[in-house]
Amino acid sequence: MRERLGIKRRRYALAVDARKCINCKACVVACKAENDVPLGRFRNRINEESGGAFPRLRASFEPEQCHHCASPSCVRVCPTGASYQRSDGLVLVEGDDCIGCGYCIIACPYDARFFNEQTRIVEKCTMCAHRVDAGKPPACVETCPTRVRVFGDLADSGSEVRHLLDSRRSHVKQPETGNGPHIHYLD
Amino acid sequence: MPEPRWGFLIVAYLFLGGMSAGLFFVSALATYLEDGRGAAYSRVARVGALLAPWPVSLGSGLLVFDLGHWFRFYKLFVTFQWHSPMSIGAWLLAGFSGITLAAFWAWLPETTLPWLVRRLPKRLRFLSFVDHPSRGRWRRPLAMAGLPFSIGVGIYTGVLLGAVQARPFWNTNLVAQMFLFSALSSGCAVLILALGASREGLDHSDAKLLYSLDITLLVLELFIVLPYVIHGKLSPLSVQRALDLILGGPFTVAFWGVFFTLGLVLPLAIELWEMRPVLLNRAPLHPGRLLAGVSAALVLVGGFTLRYVFVSAGQMSTFQ
Amino acid sequence: MSAPVSRRALLRGAAGAAAAVALAPHLGCARFLKRRGEVPVESREVPTACELCPNKCAVLAVVEGGRIRKLNPNPLSPKSRGMLCARGNAAVRSVYDPDRVKQPLIRAGARGEGKWRPVSWDEAFDFAAGKLKAIKGQHGPEAVLWSSTEGFQEEFFSNLGLAYGSPNLVRHPTLCLASVNLAYSMTFGTVPSFDLLNADYVIMSGANRFESIITPDTMDLVESTMNRKAKLVYLDPRFTVTASKADEWFPVRPGGDMAFILALLHVIIGEDRVDREFVAAHCHGFDELRAHVQQYTPKWAAAETEIPAADIVRIAREFADAAPRALYYAGRRSSWYVNDFQMRRAQAILNAVVGSWDREGGVVPNSKIGLGELLYMPWDEPTAPRIDELDARFPLAAKGDGVFLQARENVLAGTPYPVKGWMVYKQDPMNALPDRGRTQKMIEGMDFVGVIDTQMSDTAWFADVILPESTYLERLDPLHGLPGIWPVVVMRQQVIKPIHDTRANLEIVQGLAKRLGLGDYFDYTIEQWVAEQAKELPVDNPLAHLQKHGVFAAPGAPFYGTTRKPDHRFLTRSGKIELYSERLAEAGHDPLPTYVAPTPPPADSFRVLLGRKATHTHAGTTNNAWLHELTPTNDLWINPVPAAALGIAHGDVVEVASKVGKVRLPARVTEEIRPDCVFMLHGFGKKSRQLRLAYNNGASDADVLETAWDRVSGNAAFHETFVTVRKVGEAPHA
Repeated sequence: MRERLGIKRRRYALAVDARKCINCKACVVACKAENDVPLGRFRNRINEESGGAFPRLRASFEPEQCHHCASPSCVRVCPTGASYQRSDGLVLVEGDDCIGCGYCIIACPYDARFFNEQTRIVEKCTMCAHRVDAGKPPACVETCPTRVRVFGDLADSGSEVRHLLDSRRSHVKQPETGNGPHIHYLD
Repeated sequence: MPEPRWGFLIVAYLFLGGMSAGLFFVSALATYLEDGRGAAYSRVARVGALLAPWPVSLGSGLLVFDLGHWFRFYKLFVTFQWHSPMSIGAWLLAGFSGITLAAFWAWLPETTLPWLVRRLPKRLRFLSFVDHPSRGRWRRPLAMAGLPFSIGVGIYTGVLLGAVQARPFWNTNLVAQMFLFSALSSGCAVLILALGASREGLDHSDAKLLYSLDITLLVLELFIVLPYVIHGKLSPLSVQRALDLILGGPFTVAFWGVFFTLGLVLPLAIELWEMRPVLLNRAPLHPGRLLAGVSAALVLVGGFTLRYVFVSAGQMSTFQ
Repeated sequence: MSAPVSRRALLRGAAGAAAAVALAPHLGCARFLKRRGEVPVESREVPTACELCPNKCAVLAVVEGGRIRKLNPNPLSPKSRGMLCARGNAAVRSVYDPDRVKQPLIRAGARGEGKWRPVSWDEAFDFAAGKLKAIKGQHGPEAVLWSSTEGFQEEFFSNLGLAYGSPNLVRHPTLCLASVNLAYSMTFGTVPSFDLLNADYVIMSGANRFESIITPDTMDLVESTMNRKAKLVYLDPRFTVTASKADEWFPVRPGGDMAFILALLHVIIGEDRVDREFVAAHCHGFDELRAHVQQYTPKWAAAETEIPAADIVRIAREFADAAPRALYYAGRRSSWYVNDFQMRRAQAILNAVVGSWDREGGVVPNSKIGLGELLYMPWDEPTAPRIDELDARFPLAAKGDGVFLQARENVLAGTPYPVKGWMVYKQDPMNALPDRGRTQKMIEGMDFVGVIDTQMSDTAWFADVILPESTYLERLDPLHGLPGIWPVVVMRQQVIKPIHDTRANLEIVQGLAKRLGLGDYFDYTIEQWVAEQAKELPVDNPLAHLQKHGVFAAPGAPFYGTTRKPDHRFLTRSGKIELYSERLAEAGHDPLPTYVAPTPPPADSFRVLLGRKATHTHAGTTNNAWLHELTPTNDLWINPVPAAALGIAHGDVVEVASKVGKVRLPARVTEEIRPDCVFMLHGFGKKSRQLRLAYNNGASDADVLETAWDRVSGNAAFHETFVTVRKVGEAPHA
């Protein structure tokens, strides 16, 4: 599809069907293994909401990680340019240029970043760019028993993520910041 | 945020940076104002210029060692990320440091440099050129050049916070100005302390300058802090909830008790009281050493507390 | 003469150019010139099968520079359907766990003291074989108990026990699913799978499928209920993840599930909603069944279950309407109550009468792929009777599995004969059996306890010798066929060489066998075994195929309807699906499931329930750092109403006491459990100090659970214990 169009740029995004999330934490451990995330730190997480009174109860689970925003505030505030955004939308950190000032951690509305005490730089979800560039899905997407996450190219009209977001209503978290996040939670 | 990333070292840096900015601003102002015979407030100008480079150097030094890899701080100066307040600030700081160090050199007493040069080993004697006879002529140009930089340094610390829309406690237009006026006021306070502690003490004209300046700045600060709170309470929910951190939340006492009362209102009252003779009778001013010292110290405590509250509460505030 | 360009200018230009080139990478605009400097290392991908739980998902192990870097799901297996759960991903951490047993150890102090002497394999084998020979000489081979948990290499351990001459093999089903297996076997002649992927209506009792992950059932249930709008009705005293996803959740009174099922039968049969043709053609005993369920009215069941009668009627009708794409899910761990077998029988009967047997969306008998078998020298069958008196007490129970709890009772009593030795493989009876005090007593009475395990489990901690097995990523295992609706054969091949001085179970068995004079029975290598197995696979170069792909899936799956031919003979006495079972009657049990109300807890007591979570596998993973940080400890779930009456706030330390023991752990005051029950997650409260993350962390249900078992199958019954709860400490301030 892209070959025919030729000039269109990729725009990676994640569609999440949180109804299917059973909080099994497979994605959290897969990410940890894939990306050498240190103990006590996480590049992704499951937000839990529960409540009610016995026997009328509810519980729901929502995966979250870096939203690889269209207008990432973390890139904006980085003083060395270590935080940058690829043309396909992925927001990454060039570790060699990171001075560890922590400004991006504070600037992120989604608490997606953390300081790695071992490498002494700021880290976060990279959407497993090294896997994506090799044609494989991110680890969290691949490992999920219930297929909660769908990863793909929004610019590709044949992609599953494009199909989902066109045919189903979805929302993003904290749109009021103006960051333009690209994790789309299917309603 | 799950845990705050910026702590005491950042607060100290913001405070010390503001102090340097304020010191140079007042010194530059004192240099600029002439009374026919030359600088009208030469003592203020000199002490301010001699002190200005050092607080921010200490603060920057602390900051560098708070980095992930401290030796990578040079990376701030091999690029210019115009959209990053921190990058802008780094360059502003570089310019400010250069100018204030030059001003330091320009204001050194007559005897200091020759004394130093005499103690240089033979091989470094060529450095004696620094004892330039007409270095004093650089004072005014440096003051003028440094004035915008000092305002820049004073205001950028506020922009650093204010530009972060993820933190509702910070994300207002007024934070930058609040930090600027607090910084300039800190400069006044240090000068009041430094001159007041000297053998001669604060003389009438220096006191009048410093007190008038400080009162003005404190009043301006008052007119920023109150609208910040009031307007914030009339803002979207996330801002209102962020403000609760100082309206009943964990930082209430620090903000209203220490910063606002002890660090703003009380010094203002003391200084107005001290300025009674000037304001009412046009009589000369003889500020009491103790009261002057207390009032100035309170301003400094307030300035530090302001930054502590902002840095901490800001990281706690969130849209979620 | 003046040069066209002065030297000075040239130098200046060169310097400027050099500076520009040097600075360029650092200027923001040159970002795209930079590339991440990855140093390439030798990398290979080895297909294998996971061993972190019994599901055996297909895995692709990525090895870089000799170290396992990551485990990825293998999309080729229709059983694991391209997924890998938290535990499967965390297995890397288990391999490199610093707390692993790194070489054979012989006890150097008292049992449980934790003093060990690292020894060579020869010395360990000599020691263990010496002890086994001594016991055999003094008491006979039946004096050694051989207990194990399922695994690809378990067979070698069991064979060693049999060759040694002991009839006393006990396996994990007697602590897990023996009752459900037996119930379905007695009804259908086989244990089926459940086609959750295609079902339209699913009822589940417990079987917390969305939290205690079982592939592919977990995945298929999400697919059918979320994407296809199949309906899920779920009964559980606890609001689990499954409850949060189910269309309807009923906080059923513990033990009331059977009343619910019998009432469903009452309605479906009474309103003639059964599959008449199917029942006539394939079922035996329908008339007896119809008469039997007359008494189980919805109104009666409502009192037993606390589920409104109108709902019971409605669900019965919906279930029957949705049939044959309707199923009552059997569950896996069926170690609940002393009448568990009969409850599962009622389920099986319900599934039978609505005709969902062997059809898409129903209850489907397993297909399997045939594997070859290496012929090896056979031994004489053990002659002594079993220690658990299986034939007399549990004549219908699975012979190869035994009844662990009866065995323990008899060993402690010394009847019908003394048992003085215990070999344990891949099992932690100190946590898996209820009433840990009795297990410890059993150990104390043993002359010899030998454990084969990868980690220093609590049982290993109290053993005399530990023979460390290599983890599954460090060994080649026999091929394993997974029967099911989508049958598959998986290969587990060696990903890396053992990083410590550990061995595969076959090598351990061979080492012992040699010294026991049984070497001839194990005179083969694992490679020979696997090669022989592979030969039967219907594919070219089967071994190479498996080494490359890791999986062989049966072409043509899924298989439905193989038993629905008119002349099909079921593997039951009558040759039909037995709604009424003569064999049960002959053995002195109810031929039709008869409801017996569970004993309610005495005043001020609670029934204690246990269960699982997706981040841990029983007691085996609580020391894995990646899983530990997600679920670091367990706590006691208690409803706010009784908690308030007892003065217990969330986080307070409570003491939970039963007739056999007491434990302390923090309280989780939550609305998500019935007021008459409390709940503990299984797997914590370890006593082994070599499991540094798990040691003394949380509490073990084994310390409080009382011994009870199902009457028919002997399956342990873990939910029959009542406890008192009292506050003993304040919650620590956050």
